[in-house]
Amino acid sequence: MTEPVTTPADVIREAGALRRSLEAGFREEVVSSIYGEVERVSRRAVNDQGSRTLELDQQIDRIVTSRLFGLPLMLLILAVVFWLTIVGANVPSAMLASALFAVEDWAAAWFTSRGSPDWLTGFLWHGVFRGLAWVVSVMLPPMAIFFPLFTILEDLGYLPRVAFNLDYLFKRAGAHGKQALSMTMGFGCNAAGVIATRVIDSPRERLVAILTNNFVPCNGRFPTLIMLATVFVAAAFPPAVASFVAAGSVVAIVVLGVIFTLGVSWVLSRTILRGEASAFTLELPPYRRPGILRILYTSIIDRTLFVLWRAIQTAAPAGAVIWLLANISVGGTNLATHVSSALNPLGRAIGLDGVILLTYIIAIPANEIVVPTMLMIYMAQGMMTELESLDALRRLLVDQHGWTMLTAVNLMLFSLLHNPCATTIITIYKETLSGKWAAIGALLPLALAFGVTFLTATVARWLF
Amino acid sequence: MAIAILLSLVAFAVLLPTYGVAAQWRVYRSGLARERTENALKHLLRQATDGHSASFRSLKGELGLSDRELLSLAERLELEGLIHSDGTHLKLTTDGERLALHVLRAHRLWEVYLAEELGVPVDRVHAQAERQEHRLNPQQLDRLSAAMGHPDIDPHGDPIPGPDGVVPEAPGTVLSAWPLSTPARIVHLEDEPPLAFAQLIAEGLKLGQVVRVIERTPSRLVLSDGENEFRLAPMLAANVHVVAASSEPARALDGVLPLSDLPSGAAADIVALDPHLKGFARRRLLDLGFTPGARVRSELQPFSGDPRAYRLRGTTIALRREQSDRVLVRALQPERSR
Amino acid sequence: MSAPHACDTCPMHTEMAQLGAAVGGFDRVVALAGNPNTGKSTLFNALTGLRQHTGNWPGKTVTRAEGGFQFAGKRYKLVDLPGTYSLLSASDDEEVARNFLLFGRPDCTVVVVDASALERNLYLVLQVLEITDRVVVAVNLIDEAKRRGIEVETRSLARDLGVPAVPIVARTGENIMALLQDVANVASGDTVTQPLRSKGTPAFERAVSKLVPMIEAAAPGVPNARWIAIRLLDGDASVEEALTTGRLAELVARQQAPDARFSRKIALQGAQ
Repeated sequence: MTEPVTTPADVIREAGALRRSLEAGFREEVVSSIYGEVERVSRRAVNDQGSRTLELDQQIDRIVTSRLFGLPLMLLILAVVFWLTIVGANVPSAMLASALFAVEDWAAAWFTSRGSPDWLTGFLWHGVFRGLAWVVSVMLPPMAIFFPLFTILEDLGYLPRVAFNLDYLFKRAGAHGKQALSMTMGFGCNAAGVIATRVIDSPRERLVAILTNNFVPCNGRFPTLIMLATVFVAAAFPPAVASFVAAGSVVAIVVLGVIFTLGVSWVLSRTILRGEASAFTLELPPYRRPGILRILYTSIIDRTLFVLWRAIQTAAPAGAVIWLLANISVGGTNLATHVSSALNPLGRAIGLDGVILLTYIIAIPANEIVVPTMLMIYMAQGMMTELESLDALRRLLVDQHGWTMLTAVNLMLFSLLHNPCATTIITIYKETLSGKWAAIGALLPLALAFGVTFLTATVARWLF
Repeated sequence: MAIAILLSLVAFAVLLPTYGVAAQWRVYRSGLARERTENALKHLLRQATDGHSASFRSLKGELGLSDRELLSLAERLELEGLIHSDGTHLKLTTDGERLALHVLRAHRLWEVYLAEELGVPVDRVHAQAERQEHRLNPQQLDRLSAAMGHPDIDPHGDPIPGPDGVVPEAPGTVLSAWPLSTPARIVHLEDEPPLAFAQLIAEGLKLGQVVRVIERTPSRLVLSDGENEFRLAPMLAANVHVVAASSEPARALDGVLPLSDLPSGAAADIVALDPHLKGFARRRLLDLGFTPGARVRSELQPFSGDPRAYRLRGTTIALRREQSDRVLVRALQPERSR
Repeated sequence: MSAPHACDTCPMHTEMAQLGAAVGGFDRVVALAGNPNTGKSTLFNALTGLRQHTGNWPGKTVTRAEGGFQFAGKRYKLVDLPGTYSLLSASDDEEVARNFLLFGRPDCTVVVVDASALERNLYLVLQVLEITDRVVVAVNLIDEAKRRGIEVETRSLARDLGVPAVPIVARTGENIMALLQDVANVASGDTVTQPLRSKGTPAFERAVSKLVPMIEAAAPGVPNARWIAIRLLDGDASVEEALTTGRLAELVARQQAPDARFSRKIALQGAQ
């Protein structure tokens, strides 16, 4: 008798037949037998006397997730983080600015004395360097405060509690509670947030989380928001409360982002991604003492300097583009003016202006460069100003470019809602392997940004 | 010059292989043809299963084609050796039946996938599966089936054909023929026609529900599950299949309650996972240690009351109500719970 | 062969060096497995000198990170697998972890467990022991457990599991050298382990023993036919696919790629 050849298909068929012959609860059998073994082993190896720490953990959890304090505590923590960031960043920001602008003056003078042509001095020092100086002095101090604070919360184990507290809202929106985790990663970087959605097992809910991650402002956008909150919103209030107003308005923007996340998730769950909220399991890990040194190291080296470097890398070529736009003239006017005046009607309609829209086109590669790009374009339009303080910045924008409170508020809204940066769009494509979802991920926020700012602009004009 | 460039661009857009308009149109047409073929075969299979014989007339009604289209379709199917006809009646050949069973398998597997893995409402899965069934090949089906742990029945209780084309026996008696006041478990809700199915769902009937027929008149049938009463037209009742409920549901056992009802701070032993908890959600709960006999304590409740966190095997795990409803526990006396 | 080894691997002579993300020229491959939040990434960073993102929430490590270190004159490649509770549910992260253990054939697998929640963590340990013999259990966070009044008898644990178990504190580096010594011994084969294998019901064991010879006949040289039999009985799509397409070799190769994930395109389309 010859042995018949066994093919893989035979094996699978046989496995199928055997599976049907076994009891229905096959998986339960396997799991229970493993857990039975586990209980036996761990009973012998573990000596548990119980202690205060565990009870303390539970006490903290009871407060952190309680009906009464859960949500207010979350907002309070968020507000304190932003307040510390804004207040703490004020002085170093001013110091950095004056130091760097002193360097600019000195270097420009040195260049001129060595006979360098005016255009080169202007391009290098008053163009590119000034842009970079702004990036550094506006972005570095807030980030060096914000990231360590945020990392402390992360290491402490607070984030899963946030997800736990907010899950109810996500469930109502047809989304997954762990979306809150990917959102908190989005505070760092939206591309990282999109990758973090892998913790969500259900493909539908993962797509919802991917498409809405953009509505949490990433660290590239925080400087814009903090600057606007400090320079415009808070400036309208007495100095005594200014920092609280600034922190409050950043919190408001973040809360608004969460509301948009929930709203868009709700709409997606009822339209193109229809379905019910699926299973949700989340471990609430024990609180752990954060390692302060490690936090300082990782948050300053990894996050702050990384972001800053990325901003500098993209700001320099953007500076070149702006310089070209400002110096190539067609019919007596430079290109920047051509483009921005072409965009102006659209910009005005949504409470912004043509320069801001042009800025956002140039800043598609990275949101970090929005503020410097904008300033460079404004300045390239022949209105050079010494920007030695935040107040000078406000005067430039308000007096010379007609900014109002509406411009500031709508710019904050636009910054919160507009399309994700190129890196994030590419990441969405890589995660979904679908051009369609990448396109939706880019265009949906953009449409929303235009819609919302148009609405606020119209309402504001009608009211005032 | 400009016109020439424009024309050549248009020509390029039309003629470009794979991405051009013409190529896309061909793909669309061949997809349409495949869909028609498969729908026709499905119809013949259904008629055969129901003991009717299919005819040109019934096929025409099913597919909504003109006479000319129908004739060319039938000719093509016969030429491809999928059906044979004796003038009026149409029958599937062996090849035709194999293909029809594949489509049926695709349809029902996709319904399971939508309902259990994606959480699409049960009354919507049929329409989506109706489209998707034409786009899957046998290899994809094998993977899909394996990924879901080889389900036997679709979300309506219809048996799913195996890869070898063997359809498992559909259990159950039609509800209209069930004796009065004998407990019965619903094993099948017919999803065709969709309108009748939507009515059954709207009434609140679910697969696995245990009911009794408490009244039967020529105009209606009244069911009760102990709490609610359901009134069905006899035509609707013919779309429901039931088997004898062998035992009362575990929930009714003494002292057993869903984990979600366990008061905060109380401890309990897990009795079982509800059989309706399926797919990935069930596997995940098992992996987390929600196994019969495990000790669990209700720990935290956020401001909204949902989800809740439970202490189990040395960790705190949060579950939504939908899942904690499906974990059946027996509460311990307060002095015994630490 | 567990011969008493020469003193070139004695703790006194051992020296450890972090190799960062250096690629190539490794003598051994070590995998890091474990539940989420057990300090796997912290241990990874401590050994390699790299800075994988760490944080106290489940699911931070969603991709596979690789790095290297040198110990007692040998170069080790360290692969940080995503944290999972199990290897059975076939979610993305579990598939990454499981495929690497099964087809990447690491010379040693370190399962990091949280001393405060040993019961939950051992569930994964037992599953890993089903796949591979070459396992060292690192009982991490013993300082934290002590504060909670929990003590773990690693000797009893090692005896019951049949593999070395070492108490460590990854954050401070406490006892890391002892852990590496055990890893080196297991990877080189100097320590022969006798892993605990849980037994199923008689019907289950019958089914498994019927399948194992068939698998060995159909796919000669397959790693751990018993485990594959169990997965087939459970209806595991990826294992079925690997078997039918005869692409076990390809799967092995895929494990060497930096970010091994199966495409989810089909699943995502389904959501439309």
